[in-house]
Amino acid sequence: MQPFALLSWVGLLVCTLLYARPTLAPGVGTPPGWLLLGVQAVFAAAVFLQERARPDRLRGLDFVGLLRNLLFGPGLLATVCVLLHLIERLLKAEMPGTSPLLFTVLYTVNVGLFILFLARTNYSWRSLVLFRSSARLRRIWEWFELLLGITLLLSLVPRSLPYSMTTALLGGLAVLGVYISSHQKWVAYLNRRQKIQAVLLQSGVIVAMGVFAAYFLQTQYDPLLVAPAPQHAFLVLNAFFAAFYAFMGLMVTFFNLPTAGVFEQKREEILSLQRLTQLIQKSQTPEEVYRMLFDSAIQTVEADAAWLEVESIDGIDYSGQHYHISPEQAAAIQRLLTEYNLGHIEYLNNDLQNSAGFRSLDLPYGSLIVMPLRSSKRQYGALYMLKEQRQGFDRENLSILQTFTSQTVLSIENLQLMQASIQNQLVQEELKIASSVQDSLIPKDLPIDNWFEISSHAQAAKEVGGDFYDFLHLPGRRLAVLIGDVSGKGITAAFHVAQMKGIFHALMQENPLARNEREKFPVPSKFMAQANNALARCLEKAAFITASLYIIDYEHGGFVFARAGHCHTLYYHSIKEEVSYFHTAGLGLGIIRNDSYEKHIKNQFYDYNPGDVMVIYTDGIVEARNAAGDEYGEDRLQFMLEQTYYMDAAVIKEKILADLEEFSRGQPMHDDQTLLVIKFRASQPDIPL
Amino acid sequence: MKINQHTTDHTLTLVLDGELDASSSVLLDTELNQPSILENQKVLIDCQRLNYISSAGLGVFISHLQRFQDASVKLVFFNMQEKVHNVFEILGLDSLLTIVPSEAEATAI
Repeated sequence: MQPFALLSWVGLLVCTLLYARPTLAPGVGTPPGWLLLGVQAVFAAAVFLQERARPDRLRGLDFVGLLRNLLFGPGLLATVCVLLHLIERLLKAEMPGTSPLLFTVLYTVNVGLFILFLARTNYSWRSLVLFRSSARLRRIWEWFELLLGITLLLSLVPRSLPYSMTTALLGGLAVLGVYISSHQKWVAYLNRRQKIQAVLLQSGVIVAMGVFAAYFLQTQYDPLLVAPAPQHAFLVLNAFFAAFYAFMGLMVTFFNLPTAGVFEQKREEILSLQRLTQLIQKSQTPEEVYRMLFDSAIQTVEADAAWLEVESIDGIDYSGQHYHISPEQAAAIQRLLTEYNLGHIEYLNNDLQNSAGFRSLDLPYGSLIVMPLRSSKRQYGALYMLKEQRQGFDRENLSILQTFTSQTVLSIENLQLMQASIQNQLVQEELKIASSVQDSLIPKDLPIDNWFEISSHAQAAKEVGGDFYDFLHLPGRRLAVLIGDVSGKGITAAFHVAQMKGIFHALMQENPLARNEREKFPVPSKFMAQANNALARCLEKAAFITASLYIIDYEHGGFVFARAGHCHTLYYHSIKEEVSYFHTAGLGLGIIRNDSYEKHIKNQFYDYNPGDVMVIYTDGIVEARNAAGDEYGEDRLQFMLEQTYYMDAAVIKEKILADLEEFSRGQPMHDDQTLLVIKFRASQPDIPL
Repeated sequence: MKINQHTTDHTLTLVLDGELDASSSVLLDTELNQPSILENQKVLIDCQRLNYISSAGLGVFISHLQRFQDASVKLVFFNMQEKVHNVFEILGLDSLLTIVPSEAEATAI
């Protein structure tokens, strides 16, 4: 489009020159007036279409930039126009005989400049008119452009339209221009400084417009001008719109100046709230959040002094902040407020000097806001804002501070929740490790032999407990069974379980120096004494372990066991047809940490008979509770064995567990539950006799 | 869990009220940890209203046992409910601690 505009302008120049002095090109002759007007119309259309096709000159909300570019770009063309005019006058004064040729050339140049200026101005105005506009306004603007375009053709069809119709069209377009000029939404987005700049820039545009208008009005009747009338209607309408929009904008901006401060403050409040929200969300610590609140609050309500009081809790290393006030002064005001029962409640006082108590503090402040930081759950502190003048704060300040503080409290609580969940995750992770350790310590394969049946059950509570059991085959058809419970929970408990298991396997090794069969393996009481000795040095002070060790000897048809503080063994005696507990004495491991422990542990020998049943378990079984808080208890366990002793070991176990489940249904499991059922077989099927 | 205490001529009595579980045993531990407690000749534990004792609770007593012995402060339990006594007995603590039926017997020791 650009070369086309330039070309049409050259055409216009040539035509005008020929028109002014046909002798320049005798062969061509004087071009007709309509051709001149036509070329002018083509030039104007080219320039306007070129401007129209340009991308929006408005960058974001930079209205001042738009106006500045307009004034210091095309606006300066007015000075060129004036300059050219002055040169021409000067030449005429120096050389009175100059031909009108130069005058005509300059005139044509100025027409070109004016059209360029109008195009830039009106398309700059388009950006402003259509800023956040409705679809309707966009459509109106397009009609306005189209109708203006039509006026270019008007002068090409001379006298074909009645005068009244032309007037109506032009008048209607002018009115439309006025209507469009009322769209000055952009002014609201300027701050005070920008408004002043806008007023100056718009005045500049109007002055430039005036310069062009004055030039054309003056030259219109110049006898030297030998050119047909320009595209009158189009230029006048465009100039009118350009000037009127600038004028309206100027007025709107000008009359908005007094209220700019208020607008600006509101805008600032909204912006700082936005900023606060964004910054707060990025903050990593409560301290940062409080700082942000404090700075934003001071800035927004324009406080002369302020302090933030934060209750030191949860190990937050932040005790508040002071701005233009000493901690002592703040404390004095605080004391006064507490005296009046006004500490930590929302409070606005716009006439502090009226209060005798405050006057006595001799501080220069006239207004005070107290804004507590609290959630439904708790109080976090309070924000105090002071102004020197009286009536310094209003309800708006109070409400914006309210928004600030509630946003802050929300963020603080979010941070706390986040930290808690991280902590929680760590604990979960630890428990997962502990429970997998514990799980790996539970024997996966039960010993199998034809002289006994064994069935086991082990269930860990949610928090890892310290139950354990283990088996070991000893030479001579003997079996060692260990069961126990480490006090405490979690990783430490799992660690001690592992330790106990290690001790079991280490101590249950055959002693090569043994003089007789009996001494090859430690008897249970000896084992407990040695285990106690081993544990003494590594168990923490308040920790202890309960355990029972059974060594069952099939060759001799008997077993020996020791109970170190562990639950009593439940036993079905098939000969007596009776179920009872073995009540033996025995102290838990780790309670006495010296050699005197041996005195507190005893061995119990018993010769079993085929069909006897031994039930060994941990306290998680007998201390399981029902909804009423009663414990399952030894009696109920005994009763269950009385009902089931004749069944297989696995079935006995299932029956007991089913009963336990029924008893404690709906109750959380507090402790690990371990249950072993051993039934001695009546015969030896694999050895036929 | 509530712990009340009173002192009468070199005898400190701690009255335990409620369940001594993992969380409340911390309270008890704090009480027993006070250095001034060793200035008494006797520390009596009134277990009449002690409904339950967990292994953590037992652990607290166990951990202070040696310290009391070394300072020759007698630790005496009395008025113990049967199920609580059962817990002490299973662990074998009845042979190690002085547990008597009534306050009168406890003061007489």
